[in-house]
Amino acid sequence: MPLLSEGIETRQKQRRKKRNSYALLVGPSVFLYGVFIIFPVIFSGVFGFTEWDGVGIPQFIGFDNYVSIFSDPVFLFDLRNNFLIVAISVFGQLPIGFVVAYIIYRKLVVGGKVFETVLFLPITISAVVIAILWNQIFGPSGLLTALMRLLVNDPRYVFAVFENRVFAMVPILFVILWMYTGVYMIIFIANLQSISPSVFEAAVIDGASEGQILWRIVIPAMTNILFTTSIFAISGSLKSFDLIFAMTGGGPAHYTEVVAIYMYLQTFRFYNFGYGSAVSVVIVALSLGLITLLRVSYKRIEKRFG
Amino acid sequence: MNKLFFIVFIAFLIITAGPLFSEGSSETDDPNTLTGFHYLDQADRAAVDNFEALKARFAELHPEITIEWEYLVNEPYHNKLQTLVTSDQLPDIVFLWPGKRTGNVTGNGNIKDLSPWLEGNRDNFSVAAMAPQGQNGEIWELPEQVTSTHVMFTNDRLLEELGLSFPETMEELIEQGEVIREAGLIPIAMDNKDGWQMQSTFLSALVERTGGMEWYDRAAKGDAQFTDPEFIAALDVIKTLNDNDMFSPGINQAEYGTALTDFVNERAVYLIDGGWRTTNLTTELDDDLKPHISYNTFPDIPNQKGRSGSTAIVTGTGFGMNANLEGQKADNAWKWIWFYSGPEGSKIRKEFGSLPAYNLPADSNDPILLQKLGTFLSETPGGYVLDAVLDGEGMAVLHPQIQEMMFGNVTPEEAAATYEEWVAANDSSRK
Repeated sequence: MPLLSEGIETRQKQRRKKRNSYALLVGPSVFLYGVFIIFPVIFSGVFGFTEWDGVGIPQFIGFDNYVSIFSDPVFLFDLRNNFLIVAISVFGQLPIGFVVAYIIYRKLVVGGKVFETVLFLPITISAVVIAILWNQIFGPSGLLTALMRLLVNDPRYVFAVFENRVFAMVPILFVILWMYTGVYMIIFIANLQSISPSVFEAAVIDGASEGQILWRIVIPAMTNILFTTSIFAISGSLKSFDLIFAMTGGGPAHYTEVVAIYMYLQTFRFYNFGYGSAVSVVIVALSLGLITLLRVSYKRIEKRFG
Repeated sequence: MNKLFFIVFIAFLIITAGPLFSEGSSETDDPNTLTGFHYLDQADRAAVDNFEALKARFAELHPEITIEWEYLVNEPYHNKLQTLVTSDQLPDIVFLWPGKRTGNVTGNGNIKDLSPWLEGNRDNFSVAAMAPQGQNGEIWELPEQVTSTHVMFTNDRLLEELGLSFPETMEELIEQGEVIREAGLIPIAMDNKDGWQMQSTFLSALVERTGGMEWYDRAAKGDAQFTDPEFIAALDVIKTLNDNDMFSPGINQAEYGTALTDFVNERAVYLIDGGWRTTNLTTELDDDLKPHISYNTFPDIPNQKGRSGSTAIVTGTGFGMNANLEGQKADNAWKWIWFYSGPEGSKIRKEFGSLPAYNLPADSNDPILLQKLGTFLSETPGGYVLDAVLDGEGMAVLHPQIQEMMFGNVTPEEAAATYEEWVAANDSSRK
């Protein structure tokens, strides 16, 4: 019996030690995560139901902020712009990034490393620098505008697309596509390299065509990473801010404004902290909603290729 | 071993939590050490040199006082100022606006009224600079200058080369447009990407022309509507000029400064901007061109009710002090504020091209454009600047509406109606 009780005591000691080790290793991270992520998120959630200008006591106003947000045509237009960015990210950056990665990995083009570097380069530059760069090209006193003025012999020529409510986002979408495609390309190349070369060799010996290799081997092996990159693309698109803010500031006339800029202006320029918090909650909710939708789609794709 | 784990864990929490909840390190009880928060673009060499010269002179005059400065510019300045107020960490000396731009800070008991210190010195400032800033006549900041937000800078040399002279009326100006464009030049250089430029440097002056001060006063008090014909007529002037290609091409895409560059490089005959551009023109224009630059206002418009040649005037920015300062510390803060906007600082700032609100004796050695600005301000009647008398948040409605109107998507009536709707529901003048 003493042996049995000694064994129980030892196990309890070990469990305690294990618990303490967990607390020591995980505790600081949980604490910091709580302070910098969980607490502000809860704080925002609560403030979303108040009216507060940053001074004095916030006034509880129920769902009024949310009603105002969804009845503000500026917010709805900004949301439309965000969805355009989501679309260009998911249906532009990912497919192009994947195709380029596949071409480079399968050595279907000479000088793949050069393409890899050229495509990856934009992401190494600050978004603000990129914004200034493209403004120097597209702006009324920009390089391309000056060239067009010469070509069409009109000294007052400007790119009218920036002044068109429907199409003003097009140049920004182009820059976003140019800037971020390289990131996905690198992720895809890294994951393609994890597929054993012997699988490709076996497929070639068995007479598989390039299309069959892509469709039957590569895509099934990449569904997981396609899902992950889609989450990156969606969440990144919904919080788009720096590039657009530096490039157009959301103007002219809100044409290129996105929800994050709307939130910034409401919160920090007009000091509507409660309203801004509610907008941030909407952004998180939208992001989670879209990611959930993606998970459902992913499960179906997994079944198809699984 | 368990105890060791526990001690290490608690120590880590204390170390990480300590800095998070500690008081700002800049706070001190020494009355001779102050904290200052200044609106300064550290990439602007001229502005930095000017401020360094001011600091150096102040150190000579008051070696016992140390001011620990922090600098920011544009929105980050306002964001941090608001955060400092919210967290009750407002510095001892802060740079402020007289109107609604920093109204959230000045209007909530955070800033001390400077009136008691100013007694006996008010007459040394221009009358406009001493306009009350608070509801009870308080002076929250001591203005460094009086600003005219609308000047129609004119390149008389180009006008003469084109066989033109400064127009008396808007119709005459529009007729000039054809001649100017044919010469490959821009009639009126303006940039409006940010939206505030058209409102602050042009519309504000136009409203005085179309409505007169009687209507403007009523609008500022919330007794007039922005759907009134007076306001619509002012918007209509902008639309008419835009429809006649009078402004810079791509005006609503152009960054602030683009128009100045065009004017300095003689690609534009007129430049509509604020009087503060004198500093830039003083440093950037060729010396032989400076005598040919004249300071005008927009010519008369049809059915004008306001004063001919009027501009828009606003009291300038300046330093104020934290409401919590008392005794020696408050006196030291005042020493800086008085130095900056009073005779000593004004003299230094004038050397750098600013026209101070403090009445300094005229000096024929002043830069020629500064002398012209001085004459302009003393001779030109002025109305209000819209964003100084109406809530800033409403400008986020008005500015895009003006741009939409210039793109032809809304009429002046529709733009005015959208703004009026916001003002009626939200502006503090209607509450």
